[in-house]
Amino acid sequence: MEIYLPVAEMSVNWLVIIALGTGVGFLSGMFGVGGGFLMTPLLVFAGIPSTVAVATTLSHVTASSMSGALAQWRKRAIDFAMAGVMLVGGMAGTLFGVWLFALMRRQGQMDLIVGLTYVIMLGSIGTIMLRESLAALKAYHGGAAASRRPVNRGWIQSLPFKMRFRQSRLYISVLPPIGIGFCVGALSAIMGIGGGFIIVPAMIYLLRMPTKVVMGTSLVQIIAVTALTTVLQATSNFAVDIVLAGLLVSGGVVGAQLGVRAGSKLRGEQLRLLLALLVLAVGAGLAWQLVARPADLYSLAEGLP
Amino acid sequence: MRRALLALLLLIAIPAHAQDLVSGISQDIIQITSSYTGTNIVVFGAIENATSGQSRDIVVVVRGPDEPMTVRRRDRIAGVWVNSDAARFEGLPAYYYLASTEPIARIASREALARYGIGLQALKPSAIGSHHDPEPFRQAAIRYHTRVGLYAESPGSIDFLSETLFRTRVPVPAGVTRGQYNVEVYLFRDGEVVSAQSTPLFVDATGLERRLYNLAHNAPLSYGILCVLMAMLLGWISSVLFRRQE
Repeated sequence: MEIYLPVAEMSVNWLVIIALGTGVGFLSGMFGVGGGFLMTPLLVFAGIPSTVAVATTLSHVTASSMSGALAQWRKRAIDFAMAGVMLVGGMAGTLFGVWLFALMRRQGQMDLIVGLTYVIMLGSIGTIMLRESLAALKAYHGGAAASRRPVNRGWIQSLPFKMRFRQSRLYISVLPPIGIGFCVGALSAIMGIGGGFIIVPAMIYLLRMPTKVVMGTSLVQIIAVTALTTVLQATSNFAVDIVLAGLLVSGGVVGAQLGVRAGSKLRGEQLRLLLALLVLAVGAGLAWQLVARPADLYSLAEGLP
Repeated sequence: MRRALLALLLLIAIPAHAQDLVSGISQDIIQITSSYTGTNIVVFGAIENATSGQSRDIVVVVRGPDEPMTVRRRDRIAGVWVNSDAARFEGLPAYYYLASTEPIARIASREALARYGIGLQALKPSAIGSHHDPEPFRQAAIRYHTRVGLYAESPGSIDFLSETLFRTRVPVPAGVTRGQYNVEVYLFRDGEVVSAQSTPLFVDATGLERRLYNLAHNAPLSYGILCVLMAMLLGWISSVLFRRQE
């Protein structure tokens, strides 16, 4: 049941890896997220070096996003103009992220940076989601409609370089989408995530895109960013393991389909509440690793950075 | 098997020192395939011209290729454990296994072992750059490798089949590095090496694993694009299959 990973230079139980892919795929299908934020920490828990885990998880995200994007494309629910503009920022962000990744690896601070970024991102996103879903559940039970606080879009309207996005029925500056793309590209390289859980809220609350094009457009953006990051990680850090990627993806695409079916049986607020708790649990586990006294204070890395 | 063994003995065994010791290994190439999970090699040999009653301590050392390594120490900064201090070493082997008839401390003095460079404590890598005290870092490197099974000392693991014939089984775990290994066999008498022999052992990947590794390192751009295409293809296939089922 063991298989040798040529780039990670270690052997793993392939059943465990496929099960991991299926499990994360199931959750990502159920919640409609890429699942990178779960996959990377789980691979690290499973003993894969964190550089390989970050770089290889991206392939899993590319595959699951591809599957989702094709479904959205058939429904013509993709704003390619918006995706293209975001991608300009996304590419710059990715380049920056991969550069930062290589720098941190040389400094020996890879694990710290990945850990801290994860704890901050998961902690804040999880808290926001938890509050929002609890409020929605309360409103549902109270019979009152959930009031959605309008976000002030004044400063976004005043920015220059406006462009018309037909599909989204928007006439806004290209700067906010480029900025969002940049942040997501950088995080994608450092954390091994697609960034759906950042892009989707940003598109809805910041850019005010219609909900029906948000999913498809964010998926296109995610495919492009993760594909680019994979190539950059492969060329600059030699950290992508194709055998590991193949196993994860095979499990992931099956799990995602099962997850979509399971997810359709649960209500939206309950789903979001569960996802919020999951996000917070992963965040807490990673925070514990940062503050708990390690079993051995010394760690070892091959090579002389 | 016995004939092969004899042939090997005759072929490989070129005693380095007197006609006291001949030795050989069961295979001189280990090939890493996709199902490689570690293996064993057998090191065997004979002591010649042995007069019974004389002490006959055998030490077998298998040493992997040297690898530069960086050892970092974590310190608590603002509640978080951060890598703060580091030492860089050259000359530490990626793999080190020692089998002996007795604990090596009983076979020879510490000075003699250090002189011959036998035993984990005799591993003296050179610290690159000046570090005020590389010793705890060196100990940490040995501790780390021992924990993951790449360094081991295994006293009492050499079997004598007769007065003069001996053999031992050397585990080669899954995490070994590719490269040239050396199998060294030492014959000790009264705390000094009287005969020694060294045989090379090669560990290499074969087939698909080798090709993928080479591709990843020699043509990383094509390799990266290949990874992306594979992911997209699998995503597309799953989407098609999924649509059929609906």
